[in-house]
Amino acid sequence: MKTAQDVKVNNVVLIDGSPWLVQKAEYTKSGRNSAIMKMKLRNLLTGSTTETVYKFDDKMEQVNLDQVDVTYSYKADDMYVFMDGEYNQYELSAEDVESVIPYIVDGMTDECKAVFFQGKVISVDLPTTIVRQIDYAEGSARGDTSGKVMKVAKLSNGTELKVADFCEVGDWIEIDTRTGEYKSRAKAPA
Amino acid sequence: MKSWDIFCSAIDNFGDVGVSWRLARQLAHEFALDVRLFVDDPKVLELLCPEVSPSLPIQWVSGVQVIRWGAALEVAPAAVVIETFGCRLPDTLISAMAARDPASLWINLEYLSAESWVEDCHCLPSPQVTGPQKYFYFPGFTERTGGLLREKDLLLKRQQFTQADKRHFLRKLGVDPSPGSVLVSVFTYENESIASWLEILCRDESRFHLLVPTGRISKNIQRWLGVEALAHGEIHSCGQLTIQAIPFVRQEDYDLLLWSCDLNLVRGEDSFVRAQWACKPFLWHIYPQEEDVHLEKLAAFLRYYLDGMGVEAAAATQRFWGDWNRQKPLQESWAVWQKHWPDLERNAERWCSQLARQPGLAESLARLAQSWYKRRAEITPPF
Repeated sequence: MKTAQDVKVNNVVLIDGSPWLVQKAEYTKSGRNSAIMKMKLRNLLTGSTTETVYKFDDKMEQVNLDQVDVTYSYKADDMYVFMDGEYNQYELSAEDVESVIPYIVDGMTDECKAVFFQGKVISVDLPTTIVRQIDYAEGSARGDTSGKVMKVAKLSNGTELKVADFCEVGDWIEIDTRTGEYKSRAKAPA
Repeated sequence: MKSWDIFCSAIDNFGDVGVSWRLARQLAHEFALDVRLFVDDPKVLELLCPEVSPSLPIQWVSGVQVIRWGAALEVAPAAVVIETFGCRLPDTLISAMAARDPASLWINLEYLSAESWVEDCHCLPSPQVTGPQKYFYFPGFTERTGGLLREKDLLLKRQQFTQADKRHFLRKLGVDPSPGSVLVSVFTYENESIASWLEILCRDESRFHLLVPTGRISKNIQRWLGVEALAHGEIHSCGQLTIQAIPFVRQEDYDLLLWSCDLNLVRGEDSFVRAQWACKPFLWHIYPQEEDVHLEKLAAFLRYYLDGMGVEAAAATQRFWGDWNRQKPLQESWAVWQKHWPDLERNAERWCSQLARQPGLAESLARLAQSWYKRRAEITPPF
C-alpha cells in the first residue's frame, strides 16, 4: 500500500479489481495543515478516464504490471501488432494503444513496453523520448534561433505538433511522449 | 436517504464542531432528516450549545441525536455518512457502510477555500481500497462549489433585527456602549499586531467599544492592558477606546453579536462565514498554515470579495487584512482602511446579496444525496 501523496504519474493503482494508470497527480494544500491529491486516472482495461481526489494520506493499492520489450510490426484490420524478441506477436486494439497511435510510423524501431495485467496484454508504452522526422512544416520567421518561437509541423502519419521555428521539413526531432511536446532537434537515427 | 450521520473530530478551536453542529441542526430542522452527530469532544459542543451535557454518551439536542464518539463505536451506519474535515472513520464503520443495502453515500466535507482548484475538485469521487463510493464536497463562494451554510430564514431574521433587539441583546451581555461609539467584536487568533491597533484607537476621532469574547486573542489584549486576566464584564478604557470582556456566546447568539456590531473581527471558518451573512464590514484572521499557504487562500478570497469595490478601497482592504494576517504594525493601514468606511459597508451588502443568490451548503448537500440515490440505479459509476 502507498499513501496518495506517494503515488506518482505513470504508477498503476488497483481500484475495484481494475488497473488504473495515474496520468496526472497534483498535490494541493487544503485547510489547516492537510492536503489533497487530485488525480486523473485511465482504466487500462477499458481506456476510460476519470478524475478523482484523495486525502494526502489515503491508502492506495499500487500494482506492478509485467512488462515485455516489444517493437511495432504492422497494422492488420483494426489491430496493431507488436512483437517481442522471441517473435511472439501481441495484438492490441486502437483503444489499447490510443496514446501510442499518434507516433506510430512505418519502420519505427522504438523499443516499447507491452504491459500485462493478469496474463493479458493491455497496453503498450512508448519510450519517454522518441525521434521522428518532420514531413511538413510552416514557413519560418527570419533569423529566430532561440527555439522560443514555435510553429506547426506534421509527422509522416499526419500527427500535428508545435516545433521550434527553425525546424524544417526533413529534420529529425525529439518528442516527449508523456506530453506530446517537441523537445529539440535530433540527429537522424542510425 | 432520511438518515444522516455526521462525524466530527475537534482538532483545535471551535471550527470543526461549529460547522458540524450548524449543519446537523439545519439538516434536521429544514429538511426533516434524522441526523446523528458523532463528536469526539462534546465539551467543545457544550460551549456552542449549553444544553449539551458532555457526560452523556447519547442525547437529543435541538432535534439532533448527539453521540459521544469514543474508541468503540458499534452503530448501523446511516444512508448518508459525512466525515467532516477529513476526520478518519473507523474501519468497522466503513465496512458496515459498504455492507449496508443500499450502501451508504460517503461524503468528505472539506475545508472552505476560495482558491480556483476547489471548483475542479468539488464532488469528485474518491474510490477507496475498502468502503462504498466516497465523494469530496467543498464549500465555496461560487456556483461550482458546495456553497456556504445558511439557514433559510437567516437573512430575514437579520433584516428584522431592530435597534430595540440590539439594545436588548447587548444589555443581556452587560454591554451599554456610549452613543455614537463604533461597536467592534473581536474573535481572532493570537496576534501581536493588535497592540499597534489598540494604540491608535485610543487616539482616534471616533469612540470605539471593543467586545472581546473569551478566546485566543484575550492574552494579547491582557498584555496590552497590563492585566493578568479579563473577567467577563470587565471594562477598560483608554482615551477613545473601551475594551469589554464578554462571555463566549452560544452559536445563535453569535449571529446577534455580529449583527449588533459595526465591525467584526473573525477567524477560521465558521465565524468568517457568519460575518459575511451579517452584512457588515469585517476583518478575517485566516487560520495560519505552514509555509504561509494561508496567505494565498486569503488573497483568493479577497479576489472575489473585492471584485466590484472601488480600486482604492479594495487596495486599502488588501493592505489592512494583509498587515493583520502578517502581524505587521497596523497604524497606517488602519488609518487608510477606515477612510473607506462607506465603501466597505456597501461592499459587505453587495457581497452578501451575491452569495445569497447561490444555494446554501446544507441545501446542496441534501440535493446531492437525493439525486445520487435516485440515479444510482440508472448510472454506472466509474468504479
